Amino acid sequence: MLMSRSNSLTAVVVFLVVVLIIVPLAISATHRTDLFYTLSSVALLAIASGGVWLTFFIGRINIGQGAFALMGGYVSAILIVTYGVSFWLSLPLAGLFCAGASILIGLPILRLRGVYFAMVTLVLTEVVRLLTLAVPITNGAKGMVSIPPPGELSIFGLTLIPSFATMSERNEAFYFLSVIAMCLCFAALYRLVQSRVGRLFVALQQNEDLASSMGLNVPALRVLAYSISSFLGGVCGAVFVAITQSIYPSSFTIADSVNFMLYCFLGGLGFVFGPMLGTLVLYFGWDLLFATGEYQLLIYSGVLILLMLALPNGLLSLRKFNWRRS
Amino acid sequence: MEQVIVNGLYLGAQYALIALGLTLIFALMNVLNFAHGQMYVLGAFVVYTIYGQLHMPFVVALVASALTLAVLGGLIERFLFRTVIKRSVRDESTMLLAAAVAYFLDAVILLLFGEKQRGVPKIISGTFISDNLIIPYDRVLVAGLAIVFIATFVLMMQYTKPGRAMRALAQDRVAAQLMGVNVEFYSLIGFALGALLAGLVGGLLVTITGVNSGIGGPISIKAFMMVMIGGAGVVGGAIAGGFILGMMESVGLSVLHAYGDITYLVIFVALIVFLSIRPNGLMGKPWG
Amino acid sequence: MTRILEVSGVTKQYGGLVAVNDVSFDVDEGEILSVIGPNGAGKSTLFKLIASFVKPTRGEVRFKGERISGLAPHVVARKGVVRTFQETTIFKGLTARDSVVVAHHLRSHVGLAGFYLGTAAARRDEEEFGRSADEILDFLGLGEVRNEIASTLPQGSLRALGIAIGLAANPKVLLLDEPFAGMNHDETQHAVELARAVRDRGVTLLLVEHDMGAVMKISDRIVVINFGVKIAEGTPAQIQSNDKVIEAYLGVEDDTIGL
Repeated sequence: MLMSRSNSLTAVVVFLVVVLIIVPLAISATHRTDLFYTLSSVALLAIASGGVWLTFFIGRINIGQGAFALMGGYVSAILIVTYGVSFWLSLPLAGLFCAGASILIGLPILRLRGVYFAMVTLVLTEVVRLLTLAVPITNGAKGMVSIPPPGELSIFGLTLIPSFATMSERNEAFYFLSVIAMCLCFAALYRLVQSRVGRLFVALQQNEDLASSMGLNVPALRVLAYSISSFLGGVCGAVFVAITQSIYPSSFTIADSVNFMLYCFLGGLGFVFGPMLGTLVLYFGWDLLFATGEYQLLIYSGVLILLMLALPNGLLSLRKFNWRRS
Repeated sequence: MEQVIVNGLYLGAQYALIALGLTLIFALMNVLNFAHGQMYVLGAFVVYTIYGQLHMPFVVALVASALTLAVLGGLIERFLFRTVIKRSVRDESTMLLAAAVAYFLDAVILLLFGEKQRGVPKIISGTFISDNLIIPYDRVLVAGLAIVFIATFVLMMQYTKPGRAMRALAQDRVAAQLMGVNVEFYSLIGFALGALLAGLVGGLLVTITGVNSGIGGPISIKAFMMVMIGGAGVVGGAIAGGFILGMMESVGLSVLHAYGDITYLVIFVALIVFLSIRPNGLMGKPWG
Repeated sequence: MTRILEVSGVTKQYGGLVAVNDVSFDVDEGEILSVIGPNGAGKSTLFKLIASFVKPTRGEVRFKGERISGLAPHVVARKGVVRTFQETTIFKGLTARDSVVVAHHLRSHVGLAGFYLGTAAARRDEEEFGRSADEILDFLGLGEVRNEIASTLPQGSLRALGIAIGLAANPKVLLLDEPFAGMNHDETQHAVELARAVRDRGVTLLLVEHDMGAVMKISDRIVVINFGVKIAEGTPAQIQSNDKVIEAYLGVEDDTIGL
């Protein structure tokens, strides 16, 4: 373990307090409510990057997460708009749809490794984009707009979450939605990695032949990891749709897929919370650079290159992480 | 029908040249050059500036484009890739560096040349028209030049000392070192050569399709696909991949025209299916 | 003695090259059988065929009467035919203990969901795996290094670790890949005793080996392969006096001396 149990618990509590109490108060106080939107984006992109991290964990380079973000977004949008499903139901359904689709795609392609797998996933984002242009139900190039915000979530008549339409501070509400989703997803990922299932993934990433020889169903385990990853991508897309209330074929592109990988990598691939850090630094960095106008991409990519040169193994490599159990 | 085939052929020749550069870099350094499309675009813009704006002869512009890209490629290899390859634990680092370089070049191109679509005057005017074929002469010239360059490249790799050194390096880095091949020098040359080829194609094609700053990414993707089809790291594979993609595009555009924009969708899906069955491509090394 | 493994007419062809040609033999339960032959004889291909890491072009392998050739390797492992690897094949980043614990996965009674949620049954399994891993590590003399990262272990320990991992998977038949390679006399002696101890635990052993000396000491029976073909089968005494075997091995030695 990186830290002792009590230290970990303290860290988690501190993190939650900062993220759920201190940050919102600070933002409200300074009236920079646009930051709510920025941080919501960070949280959602972190979720998608977390999925990419999981595929790295089983030894594959996944540059196709944008495909599932797009897919999840569209599925959620279609369920809400065309079928009148509540967002609270369409969110998990979108995730499950993506997981299912990824099982179908994953079964043939997960046999590929290294660059080959990466290239196939790169193409996936384009495939989904072209599909959304071609299929009638998605409304083609015009995209889907005026998607209603999340409605009420009530169980047995008790209102757990009021309808977003009634909220005055919608940006803040979306912030909480995104951040809580992120915390839940990463908690689940952390548990996965720490559990025996995580050990199995490590085994198969370290040596597939050896893992097979001890009875691990390597193809099935790979597909499992990939489907969880894609589920997370779908969740990211679905919540994005709730916030922006629209979706277009260009909502998630290959550039996004590459970015997810960058966020993971910079945060450090050895640590499950790396994607959160990487997304925060890079996305926030990108956003802050907006003030530089036309030089934004130049400076951003320049800094990225410098970071790669200085820290070829990511930010969290600054701290050694090994798998030794105490 | 013949028109479709002819279109496919000259598209194929040009694509093959793009794929060659990419596959060379991959073979030598196990790096998939994400910035390949941007290098193409730079080559195109150099020709646009020198031939289109400054009205110097096309040949001069083409040579300038090749040289610029060669120098750029060399610099990128020497100062960026070499450092990262030495210091990183994982394969992904170089891929991500390549992605960052691609973004950087995109930014530079956008700043230097703006967003607008640019074109240049044709290098030869006139068209061959027969009953079933329409072949503009400039396309023929460009395809012809592409084939000449491909042939030169193949011959160079086969028979010259640098070519043999690079092939040894691609086959087995350690063995090549033991045989006295200066691995660092030839990695640099190889990368520069790959960049040069990308720039050349850009310079050639700008006379036909023009260029704008946004096409770098899509061209990279096409280049990747060709290399995947043919087999990564194999020269013959790149050429085959180029021609196959050229043909598929040509056929697809005419046959599937009625159904809208699904040509590339079909091509992509076919590629995924193909790679699932034959992961090494047609001729490639296992896993690359 | 019951037949636990039957290799029947197994052939493996790679394009024009026939690596294994119509090889047949049986393995009895509880015996130690060695497959030997000069380098390049086809032993490792045969090994992979039996463990089902490679599919035979013709012929089949049966385990307790049931066909296993052609099944996925993890399925075959689950049935009880487990192979080991040469010492370079390890989980580099895991400790010795963790590697052995993971290898117990076959024995779990609980599905993945149970492990994820950490149910009581899952936790019982984990405790059991830990105990069993410790026992196996001690049995193989790896007790002291149990918490070392595998990549830091010396070659001899890695070999033992490979066997530990194999044992963890609860095999009925354990396929050992060149277990004596590169060992000196003392190490070989120790390994022979270890192999016998494993057999005494109720595991049938099938070795593929190149080192004649160790093989003669330990095997109940020996099968000799050359150029992919079985040229002899019998007890160590029979094999030692078999002309074809002597020719196969001596022929090779002549080449290396240059006569």
